[in-house]
Amino acid sequence: MLSVGFRALFKRELLRFIRRPKNTFMPPAITNVLYFAVFGMILGGRIDSPVEGVEGADFGYILFLIPGLIVLGTISNAFENASFSIFHGRWNEYIHETLTSPLSYVEMVVAYVSASAVRGLIVGVIIAVIGRLFVPISIENGLFLVATMVVIAALFAGLGIIGGLVARDFDDLTVMNQFILRPLVFFGAVFYSLTMLEPIWQAVSLLNPMVYMVDSVRYGLLGYSDMFEVAPAAYAEFAPLASLGVLTLLTVAVLAIDVYLFKIGYGLTD
Amino acid sequence: MPPAIETVDLVKDYGELRALNELSLTVEEGEFFGLLGPNGAGKTTFINTLVGLVRKSGGEARVFGYDVESDYQQARNAIGLAPQEFNVDRFFPIREVLMHKAGYHGIPEDEAGERADEVLKRVGIYDKRNERFDWLSGGMKRRLLLARALVTDPDLLILDEPTAGVDVQLRHDLWDLVTELNEEGTTILLTTHYIEEAERLCDRVAIMNEGHKVTVATPDDLKRRGTDTIEILLESTPPAATTIESDLGEYAHEVSTSGNQLEIRVDDGGSTVPQVLHDLEAAGHEIADLEISRTSLEEIFVDLTRQKDRSVTRSSASSASGSGGPDGDDVASEAAHGQTQEQEREHEHEHEQEREQEGVA
Repeated sequence: MLSVGFRALFKRELLRFIRRPKNTFMPPAITNVLYFAVFGMILGGRIDSPVEGVEGADFGYILFLIPGLIVLGTISNAFENASFSIFHGRWNEYIHETLTSPLSYVEMVVAYVSASAVRGLIVGVIIAVIGRLFVPISIENGLFLVATMVVIAALFAGLGIIGGLVARDFDDLTVMNQFILRPLVFFGAVFYSLTMLEPIWQAVSLLNPMVYMVDSVRYGLLGYSDMFEVAPAAYAEFAPLASLGVLTLLTVAVLAIDVYLFKIGYGLTD
Repeated sequence: MPPAIETVDLVKDYGELRALNELSLTVEEGEFFGLLGPNGAGKTTFINTLVGLVRKSGGEARVFGYDVESDYQQARNAIGLAPQEFNVDRFFPIREVLMHKAGYHGIPEDEAGERADEVLKRVGIYDKRNERFDWLSGGMKRRLLLARALVTDPDLLILDEPTAGVDVQLRHDLWDLVTELNEEGTTILLTTHYIEEAERLCDRVAIMNEGHKVTVATPDDLKRRGTDTIEILLESTPPAATTIESDLGEYAHEVSTSGNQLEIRVDDGGSTVPQVLHDLEAAGHEIADLEISRTSLEEIFVDLTRQKDRSVTRSSASSASGSGGPDGDDVASEAAHGQTQEQEREHEHEHEQEREQEGVA
């Protein structure tokens, strides 16, 4: 898997965003400083924790926010990086350099996805570090947190590949990120707890895949999961692990679709 | 050794348009092979099928024995492509672009750097190695495309219109370079609009038209297929051409006169001249001077592609309920269509930089 060709493409993809921090890392850093300052410090000091009183959830609102903001930054950047890289390469046709090379389709996809996932993870770490400047953080389930972050970063990098192949214009990329991804994340219990919702909206929220991502990262970071409170009792105890398992399967399925699309040349050839 | 390129009944359909029509072609290892054809003949589609940018609809295509789909990695590893389009990564200095390309072909980073320097020197733009593609002149961009094709040290170098739009000096530089590469053993497939280029460089050429292979031959063989013109100056003005034509044998395809000048079109001027002289003298004509002009490859190319156009037009007309214009109109329409595609391509290039400004995410 780690052939010279794979490493060359992976490195090329890394360098593309690492050399442009003003375009790739500064915007999410500044945005999250503002989030933490306004929602965490100014407003957050006057807002009770949405899970106040719940056993094992003894933390303030600003700490409750951090996992959701990490997820938002990670998946947005992973998706954006992959979709832009593929679409811009198609637009200017320099993706032909890759397509005419002897790299296998699996190597191509894994290189693009890995590099985009790395960008998402770097942004996630930046957001965590910024959050740490505002409030002390102690990681409760480190291994689970790392696994979840890697999986969701890879999942959205994989979805970004599909977005980059499907897009016909730069506007399409904006639509995907701003009008689909962000609303789902915002309604994914980033700023509020599912326990605050009426049962009907809790049920509706459970249909939103972002809920499980945010909740899993919150469980990894804070040791608290909304699922403990709102999921059926028989499932609640295993909810975080089950979420991670489903997300992993989903990621594998998306990567398989990516490879298939490369193999048939969807959006790439003819 | 298997041929460098071998296609059997290769077909590519774009909806109802058949871009490659059962194209069977063989290019031997070490050969300098030319693809000639008007716009829309299918030359670029053929090339893109070999490198994986176009999926064939039918038939077989192999590069050094490797199927371009089932053994695509081996096939692509053998090919270096210099395309018509300036499809170069704009994010990196050109030396890094070349290193990336070499890397994709499995060349370790240190060696890739050395190769990048080497090919940049070879095409004469080493001093621009730290510039980005957009800062290069048109000629330098064309050189870079060649350098990118060479950096992987390919066994098969494919050049798609490499000298289109370049000045005479650069054209000659590129000719010298590719000749040198071919002499070093690299198989070269060249598409070009310039007949002189094919005549000067290629061991064999294939003439394509509307996805068909019209013919494959050496430039000399092709020229021999054309008719030659024997121009004769007579001592006195001859009678009408029809009378002269009756004095000559069936070898004379066409005879025309202008005063005491006579033009006779024959298959092979050199071998026919003695017979012509004999026949004219037997008919009582005195000959003052004689000259043979050979058909140029360009004339033969035009003749072959025009004939093909006509046959296609005829068959199209017969299946189109009697509608459609005369042959000449259809040929002109085809040429105009090709011209439009060219203009669109140029228009596309004008917008490339505009696209680049769309942002960096």
